[in-house]
Amino acid sequence: MNKTDKMLVGERTFCALLLVFSLVIFYLAYQISGFSSANSPGAFPIGVALVMILSAVKIAFELLGKARPDCSGWLDAFQQFRRQHFPKAVLIFGLLAVTYLAAIQWVSFYVSTFLFLVLSIVYLRNGRVLNAILIAAVLLVLIYLLFSLAFSVYLP
Amino acid sequence: MSDTFSYLLMAWSDPQLLMLTALGTFAGIYIGAIPGLSVTMAVSILVSFTFSWDVNDALALIVGIFIGGVYGGSRSAILLNIPGAPSSVATAFDGYPLAQQGEAGRAIGLSTVMSVVGGIVGTIMLASAAPLIGDLALRFAPRDYFLVATIGLLLVGSLSEGSLAKGIFAAALGAIIGLVGMDPVTAEGRFTLGQVELMGGIHYVVLMIGLFGVAEAFYQLHNLDSPVIRQKVDKILPSFAMVLKFLPLSIRTSIIGVVVGVLPGVGGDIAALMAYDHAKRTVKNPSKPFGKGAYEGLVAPETANSAAVGGAYVPMLTLGMPGDAVTAVIIGALVVHGLNPGPMLMVENPHIFYFTVGNLLLANVFLMIFGLMGIKLFAKFVEMPKAVLIPLILVLCVVGTYSINSSMTEVYWMLGFGVLGYLLKIFGFQMGPIILGAILGPLMDTSYRQAMSSAGDHPGELLQGLVTSPLSLILTSAVVLILLGNTPLLKKLKSKFSPASARG
Repeated sequence: MNKTDKMLVGERTFCALLLVFSLVIFYLAYQISGFSSANSPGAFPIGVALVMILSAVKIAFELLGKARPDCSGWLDAFQQFRRQHFPKAVLIFGLLAVTYLAAIQWVSFYVSTFLFLVLSIVYLRNGRVLNAILIAAVLLVLIYLLFSLAFSVYLP
Repeated sequence: MSDTFSYLLMAWSDPQLLMLTALGTFAGIYIGAIPGLSVTMAVSILVSFTFSWDVNDALALIVGIFIGGVYGGSRSAILLNIPGAPSSVATAFDGYPLAQQGEAGRAIGLSTVMSVVGGIVGTIMLASAAPLIGDLALRFAPRDYFLVATIGLLLVGSLSEGSLAKGIFAAALGAIIGLVGMDPVTAEGRFTLGQVELMGGIHYVVLMIGLFGVAEAFYQLHNLDSPVIRQKVDKILPSFAMVLKFLPLSIRTSIIGVVVGVLPGVGGDIAALMAYDHAKRTVKNPSKPFGKGAYEGLVAPETANSAAVGGAYVPMLTLGMPGDAVTAVIIGALVVHGLNPGPMLMVENPHIFYFTVGNLLLANVFLMIFGLMGIKLFAKFVEMPKAVLIPLILVLCVVGTYSINSSMTEVYWMLGFGVLGYLLKIFGFQMGPIILGAILGPLMDTSYRQAMSSAGDHPGELLQGLVTSPLSLILTSAVVLILLGNTPLLKKLKSKFSPASARG
């Protein structure tokens, strides 16, 4: 409860989103069977949704005691948030991850995994392509030996 | 009786189980030691591969990884000042200063021996306490289950870092995720948004891999280039006199570890911090000041986090409630193998209990062996660059998730949970309560409705039951006390009644 604590950039927005989300959950829980009886499929979910709403409100109240972050306007706040929590490395790695998941079904697991490993290692280390190819190949062989042969797991 | 012994010794006498336990412990030490790879992550990814195995084989490997992983984190805490796992945060307080003074070898040796001491105390207490609690659990009414689960969720919320409201929100969110799918009684869809895929529910291993694997991997991207410090390691084995000197403290902190471990939802990380705090308050003349390389500061968290493993198994084997995130995954594994963790497990499948006890002891023996070996090789291993580790984690998450149901949809869900987890992490939410909520939520739903049915659908009667049955009354008071303890109300009451309480 330190009054000098500073709010994180975007914390208020996030908190508002939590509250909205909790209300949506409450609505969905209500949709299951309404307030028909204390023993309906929807009774416990409604209770949980109420707990979510109450705790989201409490989280919002905890924010009141904190100092506002230093930013001017929404756009600045958004940019600060992006810089702090979604720096280039996170964004690009995220993009690579999404592409990788999408590619698994088109170009088989091994090919997409190999490409994903090479690209992300090269990106995260700023270069050394040959070295990355070597590492990715070794990892792929290990994955094959461990999962396909030893654990006999179905790979995507 | 002879059956009991044969179950206890099962893991010791079967070469395959012996090998799997050894392999698990060995792998656990290294997985736990790599900063960014946690035991929970390792167990949740690995458990999905063992679904097609024999149940004993799967349990042997998981026990090994659990024991090895909890210990493994201490090595990187001592050598690099980066706790390899949350449970070794406290180990770094005094472990790293010791390494800076050139005593890394001895610190690792001592922490190995003390982890084994803690592990053995934890296992013995599991073996003696679980049957008693199991007997008691058979007398639990559905409402008591509901109360125990509530206590578990409240404790996770209040003991984990940050605010109670955030902890409770996370647990409730988890419960909602756990409730997605068909209602077990009426087969009505809940939170399925009309999607057929969601009727079967969301497998919580998918949620877990997303939260602990993907979210953590993204989080690690922030400190890609934390510098690597190289260490010299020698003189590993601690002297017998030294071990003897710390034995009383280690027994006390082991007990703290077991007790904290038993509480549903709270695990080795909190046990270790509480034990460190205990050592700091009770040891008058530490070998060096605390925080500057006191051996006591190393002994306390290491015994406690290992002892918590045995403790965490107690509610899992007796009530079917996870003692921490790892046992939550193990519950999943048992269910997949057709076993039903809960009070009937000890009656229907007593071998699982004694096998686990024997197996935990065996894993501790292997821990002693592997813990004192290969420290030089290890120093190389923990230096694995994050640039390689992070993409590899993601690939392992994909493989792990896909292997559960061979479904790419679940893999997409896993990535989605990863992003959600990342966002929640940014704003100081913990991942543990979400997982526990996902497991305890459906359990609470079922027990709530059973309790309501047996009270004839009269909420008033159910509430009356909460205070008239002695067992329920104890549990209800615990819930009320925890809630009060986290509100300003208690402070107000204290200040109001302080003259009265001063007399007592």
